[in-house]
Amino acid sequence: MKGENHLSRLDESKLYDELSRSNLPATKRWYAGTGALLLVVLASVAAFVYMMFTGLGVTGLNRPVMWGVMIILFVFWVGLSHSGTLISAILRITRATWRAPVLRGAEAMTALALMVGGLYPLMHLGRNWRFYYILPYPSARQLWPNFRSPLLWDAVAITTYLTGSLLFLYFGMIPDLAIARDRAAGWRKKLYTFLAAGFRGTHEEWRRYHVASTLFAVIIIPVAVSVHSIVSWDFAMAMVPMWHSTIFAPYFVAGAIYSGIAGVISVMVILRKAFRLEKVLTPDHFDNLGKLLLTFTLVWGYFYFSDYLTAWYSRFPEDWEVIRSYSGHYLPLFSLLVACNFLIPFPMLCLKRVRQSIPAMFAVSLVVNVGMFTERVLIVVPSLARRNDPSIWGSYFPTWVEISFIVGSIAMFALIYVIFSKLFPVVAISDVKEQLFHTTDRTIGGANLSTVVSGEGKEEGRET
Amino acid sequence: MAGEPRVVIGLFNGVEKAAQAAHALRSLPLPEENVTTISSVPLPDGAVTRDRRPIRFPWIVVVFWLAGALGGLALTLVTYQVYPMITAGKPINTVPPAIIVSFEGGMFAALIATLVFGFRSIGLGPFRSGRKVFDRRIHEGRIALCARVDTGDQERLAIDAMTASGGEAVRAEEGEL
Amino acid sequence: MKRRWAMVIDMDLCTGCGACVAACVAENNTPTVGESEAGKGRLMQWIRVVRYFRKEEHDETRAIFVATPCMHCEKAPCEIVCPVYATYHDEDDHVNAMVYNRCIGTRYCGNNCPYSVRVFNWWDYKREKPLDEQLNPDLTVRSRGVMEKCSYCIQRIRRGKETALSEGRPIRDGEVLPACAQTCPPGAIRFGDLDDPESAVSRMMKDPRRFRLMEHLGTEPSTVYLKKMRAPGR
Repeated sequence: MKGENHLSRLDESKLYDELSRSNLPATKRWYAGTGALLLVVLASVAAFVYMMFTGLGVTGLNRPVMWGVMIILFVFWVGLSHSGTLISAILRITRATWRAPVLRGAEAMTALALMVGGLYPLMHLGRNWRFYYILPYPSARQLWPNFRSPLLWDAVAITTYLTGSLLFLYFGMIPDLAIARDRAAGWRKKLYTFLAAGFRGTHEEWRRYHVASTLFAVIIIPVAVSVHSIVSWDFAMAMVPMWHSTIFAPYFVAGAIYSGIAGVISVMVILRKAFRLEKVLTPDHFDNLGKLLLTFTLVWGYFYFSDYLTAWYSRFPEDWEVIRSYSGHYLPLFSLLVACNFLIPFPMLCLKRVRQSIPAMFAVSLVVNVGMFTERVLIVVPSLARRNDPSIWGSYFPTWVEISFIVGSIAMFALIYVIFSKLFPVVAISDVKEQLFHTTDRTIGGANLSTVVSGEGKEEGRET
Repeated sequence: MAGEPRVVIGLFNGVEKAAQAAHALRSLPLPEENVTTISSVPLPDGAVTRDRRPIRFPWIVVVFWLAGALGGLALTLVTYQVYPMITAGKPINTVPPAIIVSFEGGMFAALIATLVFGFRSIGLGPFRSGRKVFDRRIHEGRIALCARVDTGDQERLAIDAMTASGGEAVRAEEGEL
Repeated sequence: MKRRWAMVIDMDLCTGCGACVAACVAENNTPTVGESEAGKGRLMQWIRVVRYFRKEEHDETRAIFVATPCMHCEKAPCEIVCPVYATYHDEDDHVNAMVYNRCIGTRYCGNNCPYSVRVFNWWDYKREKPLDEQLNPDLTVRSRGVMEKCSYCIQRIRRGKETALSEGRPIRDGEVLPACAQTCPPGAIRFGDLDDPESAVSRMMKDPRRFRLMEHLGTEPSTVYLKKMRAPGR
């Protein structure tokens, strides 16, 4: 068996069947579950329509807290969408050996989370039906939008990132769509034939495909960094205490990647259970994801501490009042934040036993995302509630409309993800095959190790 | 008619056999660019065949990035000129927002260009031309070796060489590589 | 003709009576929101009278009243963040203009105003009969979803400019007054044109008591205050 690559030991059709279990025809249970999710989403949409026709008074917003749950959800979901970009793009470029089973799920998370998050800037407008004033078009008012406003940068950046992540997702799926095309029948065959665009797998096609994939990955990473920086600048450009901080851009990007990795872990655990992918998504993968999560626990903690330290130390009166509220009215939320974002994940992720235990990783990832949601709340609300002029200090609590948005956004994300996984291969089968193809066994002394090819190979065709 | 190009295609179990067959085809002689593989996993360059045609489309993507950036710059600066509104006492032509929008515009153009020109370079979608040879059995782990040959002697020699190296279902088809 | 409108509020004279608030509500079609909405922080008044208490040893508690309309900042932070140019700086009058039918309600301007003088229409406010007959026809009633704020009674400024133009004369100092300035019983609110060197506000600008709210933010407000002086025993 020595020297023979791992792929040749497997029956590739069986491998495909195993990895594409999510694409089997829908069962009654699937329809029931999807139907339930759809109902929740529709309830949330109904709440939105009610809000649109009645006015934003149905929310808990007021003066001074003019931004609330909807902006929090926007930042949260855009942050979650940084999952795919980091895991897929960076792991592709660095050719990490464990990337293969995680790529597709992460890339799908990016695109779909962005679709959910991108709705909220439109939903939180006072006059949503006039949202098109933001677009530069020849209008009777003879006005174009104001590019000095961070909200316009948001519009440009989110559009670019959404387009980019959808293209990245689609392009990465092409070889898998080709396999699906060759094994499907009926309407699915038509769908996959169209989407696979005639990909066959010739040597020239593969080489160019790799160059294009790498190019996509290289482009999408700066876009992702710029997108969450621009989202952070919605806050940093404002004259609100604790918002006007230069660290916001890197802090938000780090926080987004942190929340994204946790999101990927959660989704991978669910996919693994739902589609019985135990052989591909091994505890080693969760170990590596856990190490990434640990890194970002530290990075996030570092940025948060730096931000807090500067404001706390200098005691500028306006910033100080906001910080004082963290130990006052907002102490419960602040404690939840510190616990969920650092005190719980950090020691747990240091332990290999935790990282290799899938239920533990699921729990830790959920805790991290609860913590990150709380962090968004603590960024938006206390700064507005304790802002410059003390005479209008206020408070904020979400109403049933906003709570339905929170629940609805999770349901919407789950719904699109479920439909996506039903229609499209949810594991990057070609990448898994390529990984197996590159892996062989090698005997070093008395040990049997598996080795993975690295590099492109030299002129004589010898692999290095 | 003799002399018209056809494609000889054969399936092989394993890289070694395919490499052997490719070597045999090259000694026929068949030029390197007329031989290629179809496989469900990408094979390293030089394992069976080698692709020497340069890949140039990334440079087009760079050009499109610049075009997109210029577009973003134009959008902001033109907006500022045509609709000059004083806000916050800032200058009419503000530079950092122009930089941000230009950057995003460039990235947007680069992403679209990568898709379009990547498709064009690979030959997918609307850029497909001619009838391409293919064999579905590559998804079972086989590697298909294809060679563009002239009908007549070359075709027969190619079929023989492939069968001798252990090829299955070796046949000649109308089509392109 | 270009003008530079400014408002000077003399805190020595202000008694905190709130007549300015009532006048502004009457003049500008401001809705009355009701007790529970007011408790949630959704008052719609364009000017507010803030009351600060001060207790020093061996002295009685004193109140300071700060009437806070829109500052009409020269470097208004609200203008630059509006994505659709619904608020901008009018160069003819040097006031911060608010365009209701361009506003799409992002509320970024409300967040960026450090004085929190901007208010948002959370509902379509109803006016029961006969209160709808009280509306001022010179300006609109705003729909839900748009921001609004003190405009220095721009409708009165426009009317004043039109009258002066039609009569072929310059605007007299004190002829154009916002509702609050017109109503203030002790005359604490003064309004006028800074470009006119003879106007009352031009003189008061030179008063050493003059200060601006949150001056360190660099917003250069056009609404300035004259500090309350406390002589011994006062």
